[in-house]
Amino acid sequence: MDPVQAFETWKALMTSGGDVAWWQSVYVKFYQAFIQADRWKEYLEGTGVTLVATALALLMGVILGVLVAVIRTAHDQQRPGRRKSPVLGAFNAIFKVYVTVIRGTPMMLQLLIWAFVVFKSRQYTVVGIFGLGINSGAYVSEIIRGGLMAVDGGQMEAGRSLGLDYLDTMRFIVIPQAVKAILPSLGNEFIILLKDTSLLSMISGQELLYFAQAIGTRNYEQMFPLVGAACIYLLLVMIFTWLLGKLERRLRESDRR
Amino acid sequence: MIDVKHLSKSFGDHLVLDDIDQHIYPGEVVVIIGPSGSGKSTFLRCLNLLETPTAGTITFEGREITDPKADIDRIRQGMGMVFQHFNLFPNMTVKKNITLAPVRTKLMTQAEADAAAMALLRRVGLEDKAEAYPNQLSGGQKQRIAIVRALAMKPKVMLFDEPTSALDPEMVGEVLEVMKELARDGMTMVVVTHEMGFAREVGSRVLFMDEGHILEENTPGELFGNPRSERLRSFLAKVL
Repeated sequence: MDPVQAFETWKALMTSGGDVAWWQSVYVKFYQAFIQADRWKEYLEGTGVTLVATALALLMGVILGVLVAVIRTAHDQQRPGRRKSPVLGAFNAIFKVYVTVIRGTPMMLQLLIWAFVVFKSRQYTVVGIFGLGINSGAYVSEIIRGGLMAVDGGQMEAGRSLGLDYLDTMRFIVIPQAVKAILPSLGNEFIILLKDTSLLSMISGQELLYFAQAIGTRNYEQMFPLVGAACIYLLLVMIFTWLLGKLERRLRESDRR
Repeated sequence: MIDVKHLSKSFGDHLVLDDIDQHIYPGEVVVIIGPSGSGKSTFLRCLNLLETPTAGTITFEGREITDPKADIDRIRQGMGMVFQHFNLFPNMTVKKNITLAPVRTKLMTQAEADAAAMALLRRVGLEDKAEAYPNQLSGGQKQRIAIVRALAMKPKVMLFDEPTSALDPEMVGEVLEVMKELARDGMTMVVVTHEMGFAREVGSRVLFMDEGHILEENTPGELFGNPRSERLRSFLAKVL
Protein backbone atom coordinates (compact mmCIF):
# COMPACT_ATOMS: atom_id res chain seq x y z
CA MET A 1 0.00 0.00 0.00
CA ASP A 2 1.13 3.54 -0.71
CA PRO A 3 2.42 5.12 2.57
CA VAL A 4 0.38 8.30 2.14
CA GLN A 5 -2.73 6.33 1.36
CA ALA A 6 -2.15 4.04 4.33
CA PHE A 7 -1.92 7.04 6.62
CA GLU A 8 -5.10 8.62 5.24
CA THR A 9 -7.08 5.37 5.53
CA TRP A 10 -5.98 4.42 9.03
CA LYS A 11 -6.23 7.98 10.29
CA ALA A 12 -9.84 8.20 9.09
CA LEU A 13 -10.52 4.85 10.72
CA MET A 14 -9.05 6.05 14.04
CA THR A 15 -10.97 9.37 14.14
CA SER A 16 -14.25 7.59 13.44
CA GLY A 17 -13.58 5.27 16.38
CA GLY A 18 -13.00 2.20 14.22
CA ASP A 19 -10.82 -0.75 15.12
CA VAL A 20 -7.10 -0.41 14.21
CA ALA A 21 -4.18 -2.66 15.07
CA TRP A 22 -1.54 -1.23 17.48
CA TRP A 23 1.07 -1.01 14.76
CA GLN A 24 -1.34 0.87 12.54
CA SER A 25 -1.90 3.46 15.26
CA VAL A 26 1.87 3.76 15.83
CA TYR A 27 2.31 4.33 12.12
CA VAL A 28 -0.33 7.04 12.04
CA LYS A 29 1.12 8.85 15.07
CA PHE A 30 4.65 8.65 13.74
CA TYR A 31 3.56 9.83 10.30
CA GLN A 32 1.65 12.84 11.57
CA ALA A 33 4.44 13.78 14.01
CA PHE A 34 7.31 13.73 11.53
CA ILE A 35 6.30 13.27 7.90
CA GLN A 36 2.93 14.87 7.26
CA ALA A 37 3.23 18.38 5.77
CA ASP A 38 7.04 18.04 5.82
CA ARG A 39 7.09 18.44 9.59
CA TRP A 40 10.62 17.06 9.85
CA LYS A 41 11.71 20.38 8.43
CA GLU A 42 10.35 22.07 11.54
CA TYR A 43 12.45 19.81 13.78
CA LEU A 44 15.46 20.60 11.62
CA GLU A 45 14.79 24.32 11.82
CA GLY A 46 14.34 24.05 15.59
CA THR A 47 17.59 22.11 15.91
CA GLY A 48 19.35 24.84 13.94
CA VAL A 49 18.01 27.51 16.26
CA THR A 50 19.01 25.39 19.28
CA LEU A 51 22.59 25.12 18.01
CA VAL A 52 22.85 28.81 17.14
CA ALA A 53 21.36 29.77 20.52
CA THR A 54 23.84 27.51 22.29
CA ALA A 55 26.79 28.94 20.39
CA LEU A 56 25.78 32.58 20.90
CA ALA A 57 24.93 32.10 24.57
CA LEU A 58 28.21 30.29 25.17
CA LEU A 59 30.17 33.01 23.36
CA MET A 60 28.48 35.64 25.47
CA GLY A 61 28.99 33.55 28.59
CA VAL A 62 32.70 33.09 27.93
CA ILE A 63 33.33 36.76 27.16
CA LEU A 64 31.37 37.82 30.24
CA GLY A 65 32.96 35.05 32.29
CA VAL A 66 36.53 36.02 31.38
CA LEU A 67 35.81 39.67 32.14
CA VAL A 68 34.23 38.94 35.52
CA ALA A 69 36.84 36.35 36.47
CA VAL A 70 39.86 38.50 35.54
CA ILE A 71 38.54 41.57 37.34
CA ARG A 72 37.57 39.62 40.45
CA THR A 73 40.94 37.85 40.51
CA ALA A 74 42.78 41.14 39.95
CA HIS A 75 40.87 42.61 42.85
CA ASP A 76 41.73 39.70 45.13
CA GLN A 77 45.40 39.74 44.10
CA GLN A 78 46.11 43.39 44.85
CA ARG A 79 49.25 43.74 46.89
CA PRO A 80 48.53 44.02 50.57
CA GLY A 81 49.59 47.23 52.28
CA ARG A 82 48.86 49.37 49.25
CA ARG A 83 45.79 51.48 48.64
CA LYS A 84 43.16 49.32 46.93
CA SER A 85 41.93 50.53 43.57
CA PRO A 86 38.40 51.94 44.02
CA VAL A 87 37.49 51.13 40.39
CA LEU A 88 38.39 47.47 40.85
CA GLY A 89 36.54 47.48 44.16
CA ALA A 90 33.36 48.84 42.55
CA PHE A 91 33.44 46.35 39.67
CA ASN A 92 34.22 43.52 42.06
CA ALA A 93 31.18 44.40 44.17
CA ILE A 94 28.91 44.63 41.11
CA PHE A 95 30.15 41.29 39.73
CA LYS A 96 29.75 39.60 43.08
CA VAL A 97 26.09 40.66 43.18
CA TYR A 98 25.68 39.50 39.56
CA VAL A 99 27.06 36.04 40.27
CA THR A 100 25.06 35.70 43.48
CA VAL A 101 21.75 36.73 41.90
CA ILE A 102 22.16 34.63 38.75
CA ARG A 103 23.27 31.53 40.60
CA GLY A 104 20.69 32.05 43.33
CA THR A 105 17.55 32.21 41.15
CA PRO A 106 16.02 29.67 38.76
CA MET A 107 17.03 30.17 35.13
CA MET A 108 13.43 29.69 34.06
CA LEU A 109 12.40 32.64 36.21
CA GLN A 110 15.27 34.75 34.87
CA LEU A 111 14.10 34.11 31.31
CA LEU A 112 10.52 35.03 32.19
CA ILE A 113 11.71 38.27 33.80
CA TRP A 114 13.90 39.20 30.81
CA ALA A 115 11.09 38.48 28.34
CA PHE A 116 8.02 39.81 30.12
CA VAL A 117 9.34 42.40 32.59
CA VAL A 118 12.55 43.91 31.27
CA PHE A 119 12.38 43.83 27.49
CA LYS A 120 8.71 43.17 26.72
CA SER A 121 9.88 42.58 23.15
CA ARG A 122 8.44 40.14 20.65
CA GLN A 123 11.93 38.98 19.69
CA TYR A 124 11.57 36.13 22.15
CA THR A 125 14.35 34.00 20.70
CA VAL A 126 16.84 36.88 20.85
CA VAL A 127 15.79 37.84 24.37
CA GLY A 128 16.06 34.20 25.37
CA ILE A 129 19.59 33.86 24.01
CA PHE A 130 20.54 37.04 25.85
CA GLY A 131 19.12 35.65 29.08
CA LEU A 132 20.97 32.37 28.62
CA GLY A 133 24.24 34.20 27.92
CA ILE A 134 23.88 36.32 31.06
CA ASN A 135 23.13 33.17 33.05
CA SER A 136 26.01 31.23 31.57
CA GLY A 137 28.45 34.11 32.21
CA ALA A 138 27.98 33.75 35.96
CA TYR A 139 28.77 30.04 35.93
CA VAL A 140 31.62 30.37 33.44
CA SER A 141 33.19 33.17 35.50
CA GLU A 142 33.38 30.88 38.52
CA ILE A 143 34.89 28.09 36.39
CA ILE A 144 37.51 30.48 35.00
CA ARG A 145 38.20 32.02 38.41
CA GLY A 146 38.91 28.54 39.72
CA GLY A 147 41.22 27.91 36.76
CA LEU A 148 43.09 31.17 37.30
CA MET A 149 43.58 30.42 40.98
CA ALA A 150 44.79 26.92 40.17
CA VAL A 151 47.74 28.22 38.13
CA ASP A 152 50.86 28.12 40.31
CA GLY A 153 51.55 31.49 41.92
CA GLY A 154 55.18 31.23 40.81
CA GLN A 155 54.03 31.81 37.23
CA MET A 156 52.66 35.23 38.07
CA GLU A 157 55.79 36.03 40.11
CA ALA A 158 58.06 34.96 37.27
CA GLY A 159 56.17 37.09 34.76
CA ARG A 160 56.15 40.14 36.99
CA SER A 161 59.81 39.73 37.97
CA LEU A 162 60.71 39.96 34.28
CA GLY A 163 59.10 43.38 34.20
CA LEU A 164 55.85 42.37 32.48
CA ASP A 165 52.78 44.18 33.78
CA TYR A 166 49.82 42.43 35.37
CA LEU A 167 47.68 42.29 32.24
CA ASP A 168 50.46 40.96 29.98
CA THR A 169 51.31 38.30 32.54
CA MET A 170 47.66 37.29 32.72
CA ARG A 171 47.23 37.31 28.95
CA PHE A 172 50.33 35.40 27.89
CA ILE A 173 51.12 33.23 30.90
CA VAL A 174 48.28 32.66 33.35
CA ILE A 175 45.14 32.62 31.16
CA PRO A 176 46.47 30.14 28.55
CA GLN A 177 47.39 27.72 31.31
CA ALA A 178 44.06 28.24 33.07
CA VAL A 179 42.08 27.63 29.86
CA LYS A 180 43.73 24.29 29.35
CA ALA A 181 42.97 23.27 32.91
CA ILE A 182 39.31 24.24 32.74
CA LEU A 183 38.51 22.88 29.28
CA PRO A 184 36.67 19.82 30.65
CA SER A 185 34.49 21.98 32.91
CA LEU A 186 33.88 24.42 30.07
CA GLY A 187 32.84 21.53 27.82
CA ASN A 188 30.46 20.39 30.51
CA GLU A 189 29.00 23.89 30.71
CA PHE A 190 28.53 23.83 26.93
CA ILE A 191 26.53 20.61 27.14
CA ILE A 192 24.40 21.91 29.99
CA LEU A 193 23.78 25.06 27.97
CA LEU A 194 22.76 23.04 24.92
CA LYS A 195 20.05 21.33 26.92
CA ASP A 196 19.04 24.50 28.74
CA THR A 197 18.18 26.21 25.47
CA SER A 198 14.98 24.13 25.67
CA LEU A 199 13.79 26.61 28.32
CA LEU A 200 13.47 29.20 25.55
CA SER A 201 10.28 27.41 24.48
CA MET A 202 8.67 28.70 27.69
CA ILE A 203 8.97 32.27 26.40
CA SER A 204 8.05 31.28 22.83
CA GLY A 205 11.65 31.12 21.65
CA GLN A 206 11.43 29.06 18.50
CA GLU A 207 13.88 26.28 19.15
CA LEU A 208 13.57 22.51 18.95
CA LEU A 209 11.26 21.88 21.90
CA TYR A 210 8.99 24.75 20.82
CA PHE A 211 8.32 23.09 17.46
CA ALA A 212 7.93 19.65 19.01
CA GLN A 213 5.32 20.95 21.43
CA ALA A 214 3.50 22.88 18.72
CA ILE A 215 3.26 19.77 16.56
CA GLY A 216 2.09 17.75 19.53
CA THR A 217 -0.63 20.24 20.26
CA ARG A 218 -1.79 20.29 16.64
CA ASN A 219 -2.10 16.49 16.55
CA TYR A 220 -3.40 15.98 20.10
CA GLU A 221 -0.54 13.53 20.45
CA GLN A 222 2.54 14.55 22.49
CA MET A 223 4.53 11.33 22.83
CA PHE A 224 6.07 11.09 19.39
CA PRO A 225 7.14 14.74 19.02
CA LEU A 226 8.55 14.91 22.57
CA VAL A 227 10.43 11.63 22.41
CA GLY A 228 11.65 12.64 18.95
CA ALA A 229 13.00 15.92 20.33
CA ALA A 230 14.63 14.05 23.22
CA CYS A 231 16.39 11.77 20.73
CA ILE A 232 17.74 14.79 18.85
CA TYR A 233 19.08 16.37 22.06
CA LEU A 234 20.65 13.09 23.06
CA LEU A 235 22.28 12.68 19.66
CA LEU A 236 23.68 16.24 19.75
CA VAL A 237 25.07 15.78 23.26
CA MET A 238 26.71 12.50 22.28
CA ILE A 239 28.33 14.09 19.22
CA PHE A 240 29.68 17.04 21.22
CA THR A 241 30.90 14.85 24.07
CA TRP A 242 32.88 12.84 21.55
CA LEU A 243 34.30 15.98 19.90
CA LEU A 244 35.30 17.47 23.27
CA GLY A 245 37.07 14.26 24.21
CA LYS A 246 39.07 14.45 21.00
CA LEU A 247 39.98 18.10 21.65
CA GLU A 248 41.16 17.29 25.17
CA ARG A 249 43.36 14.47 23.98
CA ARG A 250 44.79 16.83 21.38
CA LEU A 251 45.65 19.45 24.00
CA ARG A 252 47.24 16.89 26.29
CA GLU A 253 49.66 15.88 23.57
CA SER A 254 51.84 18.93 24.27
CA ASP A 255 52.29 17.68 27.83
CA ARG A 256 53.95 14.47 26.76
CA ARG A 257 57.52 14.22 27.82
CA MET B 1 73.60 50.04 43.62
CA ILE B 2 70.89 48.73 45.93
CA ASP B 3 70.50 50.58 49.18
CA VAL B 4 68.33 49.10 51.92
CA LYS B 5 67.42 51.21 54.93
CA HIS B 6 65.51 50.11 58.03
CA LEU B 7 63.77 47.33 56.13
CA SER B 8 61.14 45.44 58.14
CA LYS B 9 58.65 42.89 57.00
CA SER B 10 56.02 41.07 58.99
CA PHE B 11 53.42 38.53 58.00
CA GLY B 12 50.61 39.22 60.44
CA ASP B 13 52.16 39.15 63.90
CA HIS B 14 55.23 37.33 62.72
CA LEU B 15 58.22 39.65 62.24
CA VAL B 16 60.35 38.13 59.46
CA LEU B 17 62.77 40.99 58.81
CA ASP B 18 63.72 43.33 61.62
CA ASP B 19 65.17 46.72 60.71
CA ILE B 20 67.76 45.66 58.15
CA ASP B 21 70.33 48.04 56.66
CA GLN B 22 72.40 46.84 53.77
CA HIS B 23 74.12 48.10 50.66
CA ILE B 24 74.88 46.12 47.51
CA TYR B 25 77.74 47.55 45.46
CA PRO B 26 78.12 47.15 41.67
CA GLY B 27 80.00 43.99 40.65
CA GLU B 28 79.57 42.35 44.04
CA VAL B 29 78.47 38.78 44.53
CA VAL B 30 76.62 38.83 47.85
CA VAL B 31 75.77 35.40 49.19
CA ILE B 32 73.14 35.09 51.90
CA ILE B 33 73.22 32.01 54.11
CA GLY B 34 71.29 31.05 57.20
CA PRO B 35 68.87 28.49 58.61
CA SER B 36 65.42 28.17 57.03
CA GLY B 37 62.96 30.69 58.38
CA SER B 38 65.73 33.20 58.97
CA GLY B 39 64.21 35.65 56.48
CA LYS B 40 66.83 35.36 53.76
CA SER B 41 64.38 34.57 50.95
CA THR B 42 62.00 37.25 52.16
CA PHE B 43 64.86 39.75 52.15
CA LEU B 44 65.70 38.84 48.55
CA ARG B 45 62.06 39.01 47.49
CA CYS B 46 61.74 42.47 49.03
CA LEU B 47 64.55 43.72 46.79
CA ASN B 48 62.31 43.49 43.71
CA LEU B 49 59.10 44.00 45.65
CA LEU B 50 57.68 40.51 45.22
CA GLU B 51 57.11 41.08 48.92
CA THR B 52 56.00 44.53 50.00
CA PRO B 53 58.07 45.75 52.95
CA THR B 54 56.16 46.71 56.06
CA ALA B 55 58.59 49.53 56.79
CA GLY B 56 61.82 50.99 55.47
CA THR B 57 63.06 52.04 52.04
CA ILE B 58 64.87 50.32 49.18
CA THR B 59 66.65 52.41 46.57
CA PHE B 60 67.84 50.92 43.28
CA GLU B 61 70.19 53.10 41.23
CA GLY B 62 68.93 56.28 42.84
CA ARG B 63 65.22 55.44 42.45
CA GLU B 64 63.25 54.63 45.55
CA ILE B 65 61.35 51.49 44.61
CA THR B 66 59.35 51.39 47.85
CA ASP B 67 57.72 54.67 46.83
CA PRO B 68 54.07 53.79 46.01
CA LYS B 69 54.32 55.92 42.87
CA ALA B 70 57.40 54.13 41.55
CA ASP B 71 56.95 52.34 38.21
CA ILE B 72 57.62 48.87 39.55
CA ASP B 73 57.42 47.08 36.17
CA ARG B 74 60.11 49.41 34.84
CA ILE B 75 62.36 48.83 37.84
CA ARG B 76 61.96 45.07 37.71
CA GLN B 77 63.16 45.09 34.11
CA GLY B 78 66.58 45.98 35.50
CA MET B 79 66.58 43.21 38.12
CA GLY B 80 66.64 39.59 37.02
CA MET B 81 65.25 36.95 39.34
CA VAL B 82 65.80 33.20 39.41
CA PHE B 83 63.49 31.04 41.51
CA GLN B 84 63.96 27.80 43.41
CA HIS B 85 61.28 26.10 41.29
CA PHE B 86 62.41 27.61 37.97
CA ASN B 87 58.91 28.90 37.13
CA LEU B 88 59.38 28.48 33.40
CA PHE B 89 56.17 29.01 31.44
CA PRO B 90 55.02 25.50 30.46
CA ASN B 91 52.72 26.78 27.71
CA MET B 92 55.58 28.20 25.62
CA THR B 93 58.70 26.90 23.95
CA VAL B 94 62.05 27.65 25.53
CA LYS B 95 62.72 30.36 22.97
CA LYS B 96 59.35 32.00 23.61
CA ASN B 97 60.01 31.85 27.37
CA ILE B 98 63.14 33.89 26.78
CA THR B 99 61.86 36.37 24.19
CA LEU B 100 58.41 37.14 25.64
CA ALA B 101 59.49 39.80 28.14
CA PRO B 102 62.07 41.66 25.99
CA VAL B 103 59.56 41.90 23.14
CA ARG B 104 56.51 42.84 25.22
CA THR B 105 58.42 45.53 27.12
CA LYS B 106 59.69 46.87 23.77
CA LEU B 107 63.30 46.31 24.77
CA MET B 108 63.88 44.41 21.51
CA THR B 109 62.05 43.47 18.32
CA GLN B 110 61.13 39.80 17.92
CA ALA B 111 64.05 39.27 15.54
CA GLU B 112 66.56 40.87 17.92
CA ALA B 113 65.15 38.90 20.84
CA ASP B 114 65.34 35.63 18.86
CA ALA B 115 68.98 36.31 18.05
CA ALA B 116 69.75 37.25 21.65
CA ALA B 117 67.99 34.14 22.90
CA MET B 118 69.99 31.87 20.62
CA ALA B 119 73.25 33.53 21.65
CA LEU B 120 72.41 33.11 25.33
CA LEU B 121 71.31 29.50 24.83
CA ARG B 122 74.61 28.77 23.12
CA ARG B 123 76.41 30.22 26.12
CA VAL B 124 74.78 27.68 28.42
CA GLY B 125 75.02 24.88 25.86
CA LEU B 126 71.29 24.49 25.26
CA GLU B 127 70.81 25.90 21.76
CA ASP B 128 69.31 22.59 20.61
CA LYS B 129 66.47 23.04 23.15
CA ALA B 130 65.15 26.30 21.69
CA GLU B 131 61.99 24.69 20.32
CA ALA B 132 61.47 22.26 23.23
CA TYR B 133 58.82 22.76 25.90
CA PRO B 134 59.89 23.11 29.56
CA ASN B 135 58.28 19.79 30.52
CA GLN B 136 60.69 17.99 28.23
CA LEU B 137 63.75 19.27 30.11
CA SER B 138 65.64 18.14 33.19
CA GLY B 139 65.74 20.29 36.31
CA GLY B 140 69.25 21.51 35.61
CA GLN B 141 68.34 22.45 32.06
CA LYS B 142 65.23 24.25 33.26
CA GLN B 143 67.19 26.30 35.75
CA ARG B 144 69.86 27.23 33.20
CA ILE B 145 67.08 28.41 30.90
CA ALA B 146 65.47 30.36 33.73
CA ILE B 147 68.80 32.14 34.20
CA VAL B 148 69.02 32.85 30.48
CA ARG B 149 65.44 34.14 30.49
CA ALA B 150 66.33 36.65 33.21
CA LEU B 151 69.54 37.64 31.41
CA ALA B 152 67.65 38.37 28.19
CA MET B 153 66.27 41.50 29.85
CA LYS B 154 69.87 42.75 30.24
CA PRO B 155 69.45 43.29 33.99
CA LYS B 156 71.92 45.25 36.09
CA VAL B 157 71.58 42.87 39.01
CA MET B 158 70.57 39.22 39.31
CA LEU B 159 68.70 37.86 42.32
CA PHE B 160 68.91 34.11 42.97
CA ASP B 161 66.46 32.50 45.39
CA GLU B 162 67.91 29.08 46.31
CA PRO B 163 68.53 28.24 42.64
CA THR B 164 69.86 24.74 43.29
CA SER B 165 67.66 23.59 46.19
CA ALA B 166 65.10 21.83 44.00
CA LEU B 167 67.67 20.05 41.83
CA ASP B 168 68.93 16.50 41.85
CA PRO B 169 72.47 16.50 43.28
CA GLU B 170 74.11 15.64 39.95
CA MET B 171 72.52 18.69 38.31
CA VAL B 172 73.63 21.26 40.87
CA GLY B 173 77.04 21.56 39.26
CA GLU B 174 75.88 22.64 35.82
CA VAL B 175 73.75 25.44 37.29
CA LEU B 176 76.50 26.66 39.63
CA GLU B 177 78.89 26.67 36.66
CA VAL B 178 76.63 29.10 34.79
CA MET B 179 76.40 31.30 37.88
CA LYS B 180 80.16 31.28 38.37
CA GLU B 181 80.69 32.35 34.78
CA LEU B 182 78.19 35.13 35.29
CA ALA B 183 80.10 36.30 38.36
CA ARG B 184 83.39 36.21 36.46
CA ASP B 185 81.83 38.45 33.81
CA GLY B 186 81.21 41.04 36.51
CA MET B 187 77.45 40.66 37.04
CA THR B 188 76.16 42.05 40.33
CA MET B 189 74.50 39.14 42.10
CA VAL B 190 72.59 38.51 45.30
CA VAL B 191 72.35 34.80 45.98
CA VAL B 192 70.39 32.99 48.66
CA THR B 193 71.84 29.49 48.83
CA HIS B 194 72.82 26.50 50.90
CA GLU B 195 75.84 25.84 48.65
CA MET B 196 78.68 26.78 50.99
CA GLY B 197 81.26 25.83 48.37
CA PHE B 198 79.77 28.35 45.97
CA ALA B 199 79.71 31.03 48.68
CA ARG B 200 83.34 30.41 49.50
CA GLU B 201 84.54 30.30 45.91
CA VAL B 202 82.52 33.04 44.22
CA GLY B 203 81.15 35.28 46.95
CA SER B 204 82.71 38.66 47.46
CA ARG B 205 80.73 39.05 50.67
CA VAL B 206 78.71 36.60 52.73
CA LEU B 207 75.78 37.56 54.95
CA PHE B 208 74.64 35.25 57.72
CA MET B 209 71.00 35.78 58.62
CA ASP B 210 69.10 34.49 61.61
CA GLU B 211 65.65 35.43 62.94
CA GLY B 212 65.27 38.47 60.72
CA HIS B 213 68.68 39.98 61.43
CA ILE B 214 71.96 39.99 59.57
CA LEU B 215 74.07 38.53 62.37
CA GLU B 216 77.40 38.57 60.59
CA GLU B 217 78.80 39.75 57.30
CA ASN B 218 82.30 39.31 56.03
CA THR B 219 84.46 38.05 53.21
CA PRO B 220 83.95 34.32 52.69
CA GLY B 221 87.42 33.56 54.03
CA GLU B 222 86.85 35.41 57.28
CA LEU B 223 83.24 34.34 57.76
CA PHE B 224 83.87 30.65 57.25
CA GLY B 225 87.40 30.61 58.71
CA ASN B 226 86.82 32.78 61.68
CA PRO B 227 83.10 32.88 62.68
CA ARG B 228 82.56 35.30 65.54
CA SER B 229 79.09 34.47 66.88
CA GLU B 230 78.13 31.25 68.57
CA ARG B 231 75.04 31.05 66.35
CA LEU B 232 77.12 31.07 63.15
CA ARG B 233 79.58 28.54 64.57
CA SER B 234 76.81 26.08 65.37
CA PHE B 235 75.16 26.69 61.96
CA LEU B 236 78.41 26.05 60.10
CA ALA B 237 79.11 22.98 62.20
CA LYS B 238 75.81 21.53 60.97
CA VAL B 239 76.07 22.37 57.27
CA LEU B 240 79.77 21.92 56.54
